Amino acid sequence: MHRQYELVYIALPDSTEEQLAELHQQVQTVVDRFGGTIERTEAWGRRRLAYEINRQREGVYVLNILNGPGTMTTELDRRLRVLDIVMRHLVIRVDEVMEKETRKQTRRKAATVSRRLRRGLPAEPTEQELSRRKAEADDADTGVDSFGEGDR
Amino acid sequence: MNDFDKDSRGSGRGGGKGAGKGKDEKGARRGGGFFRRRRVCKFCVEKIDYVSYKDVKVLTPFIPERGKIQPRRISGTCAKHQRALQTAIKRARTLALIPYVTD
Repeated sequence: MHRQYELVYIALPDSTEEQLAELHQQVQTVVDRFGGTIERTEAWGRRRLAYEINRQREGVYVLNILNGPGTMTTELDRRLRVLDIVMRHLVIRVDEVMEKETRKQTRRKAATVSRRLRRGLPAEPTEQELSRRKAEADDADTGVDSFGEGDR
Repeated sequence: MNDFDKDSRGSGRGGGKGAGKGKDEKGARRGGGFFRRRRVCKFCVEKIDYVSYKDVKVLTPFIPERGKIQPRRISGTCAKHQRALQTAIKRARTLALIPYVTD
């Protein structure tokens, strides 16, 4: 059973490009061994930590989106905990929530379309409508602001 | 006098008789508003179904000065989204995107 996971790890801020590449390679080998795939890798780069970890104030963040079995995550978890270069890591399962999200959004869109058709409107909002709605939203924003100021 | 105080605290939730005394204090504490602004769930309004731990910008408005998670009664978030928000904030905390405490 293959599932989708998100893996984020924080490496030491003074780790070199090679070290990071090696780390990525290690993750890759583990994933391969379990017959999984790395779908996407995002390097967030150096970021300031919200609090100190191992006396460090910064860290190099890397996000991986993985497909694979659950046993893969336990192994990844174990490996990453052993490595000194990784200060912190987090593996979470995302396939279920993502599916839910897309399902909800498609349902919402379908509902909007059917509602519009019932009212005798075209399925998609016209340009005119969009611009008017935007103007209304802007008005509402300013209205709330002045309201807040009057409050004080 | 003391007894009365205790009483009012006990039944404070129900609003009832005892609430009359505490009203001034409470009203003052809530930003001095005579009319309370209608609170709506931000996530419902913006139709966000999944609260991600990666979007620090989305999470920060729900983390007051001290670093605690803002309660529903203040922020107006609905129960469903508050639950999602809670897990997102906790995940972001482990990744040091958001502090556990700030003082």
